[in-house]
Amino acid sequence: MSKSKPLIELRDVAKHYGKGGQVVRALDGVDLEIRDGGMVAIVGPSGSGKSTLLHLIGGMDRPTRGSVTVAGRGLGDLPRRDLTRFRRDTVGFVFQSFNLIPNLTAEENVVLPMEFAKVPKPEARRRGRAVLGRVGLASRMHHRPGELSGGEQQRVAIARALANNPPLVLADEPTGNLDSETGQSIYALLREIGRELTVMVVTHAEPLARTADQVLHLKDGRLQEAQPRSGGVP
Amino acid sequence: MRMMMLGVRNLFRNKVRLAIVALLVAVPAFLLLVMQAIGDAIQEQTRILRENVDTALQVRAAGSMGHVNMVGQDALLHGTAPAAVRAIPNVVKVEPYMLAMTPTEGHNFAMHVGVNPGDRKRLESHGEAGNPRIIAGRDFTPEDQGQDVAIIGRGYARWAGIVPENFAGKAMVVDPTRSSSIIYRLDRPPHPLRIIGIYASGYVFGDMQLFMPLETFRRIYEVPQGISWLFVTAASVDDVPAIVRGIRDSLGPQVDIIAPKHAAVFEGTTTRAILRLARAGSLLALALMGIVLFFVMLFLVRERAREIGTLKAIGGSDGGLVAQFLTEAALLTALGTLLGVALFRVWGAAAASRLFAVSVSPFLPPQYKDTLFPSLAIHTAVDAPTLGLALGAAIVVAALGSAYGLWQVVNLSPVEAMRHE
Repeated sequence: MSKSKPLIELRDVAKHYGKGGQVVRALDGVDLEIRDGGMVAIVGPSGSGKSTLLHLIGGMDRPTRGSVTVAGRGLGDLPRRDLTRFRRDTVGFVFQSFNLIPNLTAEENVVLPMEFAKVPKPEARRRGRAVLGRVGLASRMHHRPGELSGGEQQRVAIARALANNPPLVLADEPTGNLDSETGQSIYALLREIGRELTVMVVTHAEPLARTADQVLHLKDGRLQEAQPRSGGVP
Repeated sequence: MRMMMLGVRNLFRNKVRLAIVALLVAVPAFLLLVMQAIGDAIQEQTRILRENVDTALQVRAAGSMGHVNMVGQDALLHGTAPAAVRAIPNVVKVEPYMLAMTPTEGHNFAMHVGVNPGDRKRLESHGEAGNPRIIAGRDFTPEDQGQDVAIIGRGYARWAGIVPENFAGKAMVVDPTRSSSIIYRLDRPPHPLRIIGIYASGYVFGDMQLFMPLETFRRIYEVPQGISWLFVTAASVDDVPAIVRGIRDSLGPQVDIIAPKHAAVFEGTTTRAILRLARAGSLLALALMGIVLFFVMLFLVRERAREIGTLKAIGGSDGGLVAQFLTEAALLTALGTLLGVALFRVWGAAAASRLFAVSVSPFLPPQYKDTLFPSLAIHTAVDAPTLGLALGAAIVVAALGSAYGLWQVVNLSPVEAMRHE
């Protein structure tokens, strides 16, 4: 790994929720450094804090304690407006349920983050088509989510995550709603993207996780170990 | 801009729901317009009273009601009075009236009134409302002078078994021989008059009159000379005192001059009460619209919680999301309001009648309860400024009604929004 500043840096991060009068410690004292590039898998049992970790890194939520720094920006005290800008420019999200806007076409879904970033319309459309072509959906760009298969919808979601050229893609169980064959193809696509960007994937599928460059194990809100794999990120 | 466009597209996601919500918004918009129309009509009525009644002086023989067959009240003005009054400065119109009474059961008596075609028809009985409006048939034309035609009040017509829906060919027999304790018999032959129109005055006794051309009256009652009443119209209310002095100077002490203040009385009581009720009704309609939008927007925010979370996650700003939902709410309201306007055009008058009977009439003085509404001119045409005002008010209500839903949108983090679903 390079000795440059890490892309992601967590220090003593905790996230606690109040639930039914009790405090749920979703994350508790997590320290973590992820360097630029490669694919990182986060695994662990249900309720271990995987998704919470991803949300904190992606600026989707704020920690109860500790600091989260991504691409050199401390997220803990970022004003709401800057946090929105961070999510728009620095992170691309891929969700388990795809979360596409149902009344927009595939192309419009992909173009949306670029419109938020005020990319000129012709440029946004050009880039949208290019990125849809990259995920193999050039011919389906005018279809709405309801007209696409689960795998195709997840590809659109991945294309949308790549739209603003973020350095980091976060995927929360991206294969959870797909059959195993489709799941593998999605995973392969994410792995391919991981050759250029940093991709963090939350998954239950251990066999898929093992193909990642780095695997993080979470249990009861604590990081068990970080396992760099041979042939991983240089 | 993009988020506003999304708001526009979201509106048409579910067309059945759109129709239901538009209808829910349309109902209060419709009620608002109906209330507005009632308020406008009563203000118009007051304006007419102010312009046409309070500028008119009534002149009659001193100490006499001027009714040609009323016991002790049959002294008339001299036939030269109109010409003398016409010469007074700032007198714009002089209208001679002839009046006779006829007994009726229930109301005690009705009035037979002779007027020149083209002159204003006024009410004898107390004169508290003075805007007889033709509700069926036609008004007099100059050709009717001396003809056997008449325009009858709604109440008198009902007493005689004549209804507005079917009065063609009906006649009313004027029988000067009919008498009572205060009406003496005149030995003149009964005379049928063809009914050409029916009016409503808004006043229960005011509807008990039969107007006929002045010359027809003189012929039937055989009164070739004299005048029951003279209505003198001043150029403005401010000219009235000087004209009173002028009449006194030219006609002497043998006349009574009555300067009415009906408009002021009507405005101070009935108009004010109706306007208050109409305003309260309008506010209730707006509140109802706000409540509908409150729940609709709350429902939409809950329903689209995951979508809101997603849009926030991919970089949608709070302002953009607010713009999206506000656009949707504003369009929804505008659509509902336009639907309300369409409903108002079709059913506005009927609804105004019902609403007036239910929510306004019970609070009116007894003499107006059942009669005022038919005399009002309810306009169901919506002009551009009114439409703009209604849309503007509706959009303000949309913003207020959706404020809580929007506050939720702004305050949820992407993760909270997705969990909120």
